[in-house]
Amino acid sequence: MREKMHLITQRLGLLTAAAALFAGALGGAATLAEAASSRAAENKMVLVARQDPGTLDFVKSNLTAMRLWIPANVVEPLVYFNKDGSVSPGVAESWTISDDKKTYTFKIREAKFSNGAPVTAEDVIYSLNTMKASPVVDYAAAYEAVTAIDKVDDRTVKVTLSRPSQNFWQGMGAISGLIQPEASAGTIATNPIGTGPYKLASYTTNSTFEFEANPTYWGEAPPVKNVTVRIITDGTAGLNALEAGEVDALPVITIDLWEQLSKRELDKKYSLVTYPQVGEPTYAVLNQKLDKDLRETIAKTLDRQSYNDAFGAAWGAENTCTFALPNQVWYSPESPETCPFPYDMEGAMATIAEKGYASTPLEYASLSDVPDLSLPADIMVPAMQAAGFNVTRNAIDLARYSQLIFQGRPPQFDVTIMSGDANPVQFACPDPSKAGWSTYCSPEYTKALADADVALTQEDYVAKMKQAADILRKDAVIVPLIAKKGVGLFNPDLKGFEEPRVNVAIELNKLHW
Amino acid sequence: MAIYILRKLAFFLGALFIASVAIFLLIRGAGGNVAAVVLGKGATPEAINALAHTYGLDRPMAVQYFDWIGNMLSGDLGRSFRTNESVADLVTARLSVSIPLAFSGLVLGLLIAIPVGTYAARNVGTPSGALLALVSQIGVAVPVFWAGILLSLLFGVRLGWLPTGGWTDWSVSPWGAIRSLVLPVLSLGLIMAAVLIRYVRSAVLDVMNQDYLRTARAVGMTRTEALLKVGLRNAALPLVTIVGLQIAELIGGTVIIETVFSLPGLSRMMLANVAAREVIVVQSTVMLIVVFVISINLIVDLLYGLLDPRVRATR
Repeated sequence: MREKMHLITQRLGLLTAAAALFAGALGGAATLAEAASSRAAENKMVLVARQDPGTLDFVKSNLTAMRLWIPANVVEPLVYFNKDGSVSPGVAESWTISDDKKTYTFKIREAKFSNGAPVTAEDVIYSLNTMKASPVVDYAAAYEAVTAIDKVDDRTVKVTLSRPSQNFWQGMGAISGLIQPEASAGTIATNPIGTGPYKLASYTTNSTFEFEANPTYWGEAPPVKNVTVRIITDGTAGLNALEAGEVDALPVITIDLWEQLSKRELDKKYSLVTYPQVGEPTYAVLNQKLDKDLRETIAKTLDRQSYNDAFGAAWGAENTCTFALPNQVWYSPESPETCPFPYDMEGAMATIAEKGYASTPLEYASLSDVPDLSLPADIMVPAMQAAGFNVTRNAIDLARYSQLIFQGRPPQFDVTIMSGDANPVQFACPDPSKAGWSTYCSPEYTKALADADVALTQEDYVAKMKQAADILRKDAVIVPLIAKKGVGLFNPDLKGFEEPRVNVAIELNKLHW
Repeated sequence: MAIYILRKLAFFLGALFIASVAIFLLIRGAGGNVAAVVLGKGATPEAINALAHTYGLDRPMAVQYFDWIGNMLSGDLGRSFRTNESVADLVTARLSVSIPLAFSGLVLGLLIAIPVGTYAARNVGTPSGALLALVSQIGVAVPVFWAGILLSLLFGVRLGWLPTGGWTDWSVSPWGAIRSLVLPVLSLGLIMAAVLIRYVRSAVLDVMNQDYLRTARAVGMTRTEALLKVGLRNAALPLVTIVGLQIAELIGGTVIIETVFSLPGLSRMMLANVAAREVIVVQSTVMLIVVFVISINLIVDLLYGLLDPRVRATR
């Protein structure tokens, strides 16, 4: 018997050795330094995306997974808004704004799209009209004041507004202002064409984006000629790939990985960047149909620090009661001045007992397939139950959530949690019958936003936006919890990352070895 | 035999019809629609309805079903709503990952399971047989994602011998494609072997007690000769069934492996399209898998008939 066991052990040992030899023959040990430097020498880089957009149609889709890569890199807006507040040329090489701020005249650059076709005034008019008719409300909202888009000459386009509009001007530096050739509109979902520093060589769903330097780009050629973006949906696999030196950066690391990232000390081995633009506010939404006292009582059960702690990385998020990100001037961190309903569990319990809220059944709609949102729900629901609320958690996937809440009228929830764009205009609602998915509708808030939109000076604009933010938080329908920053990990040799200018787009042409 | 085959074919067609209705209703019963997913939370119901209309999702259910099934019968699997890509092209591209992954995993599993299972059966009641049974039980209990992550950490991160994940297309580099598949195949094969060892062991144990094996030994064959020449053919019957089922499961059921190793295979594609409610992509892809699975079952049933004349006589 001992001989047999010995034989088995010997054979298993041989098998293991053979496997090791086979694996060794398939490729030598790749250290991080070797892998990175070899790509640097080949003028390449490999980045990681956590989500597959499924479609690259930037007119119809507002998925972050698309907006990270296509705007600014492949398709450019008319202008760029820089971090310091200045404005740089994009597809428009210059522009003039009338004194009454109701006429914008754009001089179109003499440039070519990546398919070789020249950029014409007709393309610009087509693009602006297409975005004006976009089914994505946030994109079309920039054109609310636009009354005409006209060709002045072959290289000049004039946009006429019925009133001054900050939203229009800001939109021209965002997705609303992206310029595409009309002739290529049919392939926008898989191969969008633009004037950017890169062209999309290929997009394989659930696999990769391959970018190549655009030979017809009007500006300076990008330092890194070939960029691969690997779609790695499993977060741990993405971090493994970085550690193995197979990829050079994870420019956007979702909140569910922050704790792991710290525990593996990857923030020490790699360059960790945090930036607000790709961040998102995480906020509770309390259906406006609920009694205001009830909403305020729920708001008092929200311990912002516990949400921040749950993500395990203090560098990634700030507690806040303002619906904004730290790069927006009306933002403020959590403070007694800006928190109308601070955490007060005992006070909440007393109110629940006094007003009998325990007998009011509440449905908490929770997105089951988005870790950023299911994790806060894990905290919020037990906290509400501990306070004495009769709350039931209804966990549903994104498609169902879209149907019941984003699309549902009235939306089917009492309480939910959401995270996304920090654009306050999304909650504008002039008439309760037109309330969006969040149920929030306030004429006062909407008026403050409209006043900000027509502001003729930046100071006036900021003052009105602060006023709007104050109305929003006091109404206790949209209850901000934390402002998450964008977080990225880069190979220390890969330098030049700059904060996004066009929404959340990672500008690949700024990166260099 | 002809009646036997006709019966099986009738069952095959009936099963396909029932499956097509079930697939069509199930994906719709899950709720949500692709227009709402594409447009996200900022869209108005009017915008969502307008987009759903352009996708043809507001037509009566029966019209949508017969439109889809009619196109399928004429060889048109449909197109993705979001990208307008042909489902046939999408599936073909994914099969270049999923088929090598599934078959290599299965072959590896069989290469390990048949000798080890036979050895375990021959040594039942001995410490080495018990050890192998224990190891296979542990293998069955190990989640495939865990095995995948461990292999990725060891061979990818620590040793740097193989890619931790990702895919190099066959057209770009066949060697790169093979390298991309090694760890996923190893994960799949080892877990599959653990499952199959138990079946092989049980099947071999079963035939070892049969009269015909004793007769074979009585006419002068050694135990090994009798097992190899007479026993294995009989033990192959249940194994063929299990292998048939495993192939079917593997083609569309490797989602965890594909996710852990970031492979653009069929399972991952289906998962993403279910989440996005790309109903045509999901329906056509699942239907293809169903056709494949039921065909495999049909082939297995017909093989039974060929392998064992008693089956033809009794069915």
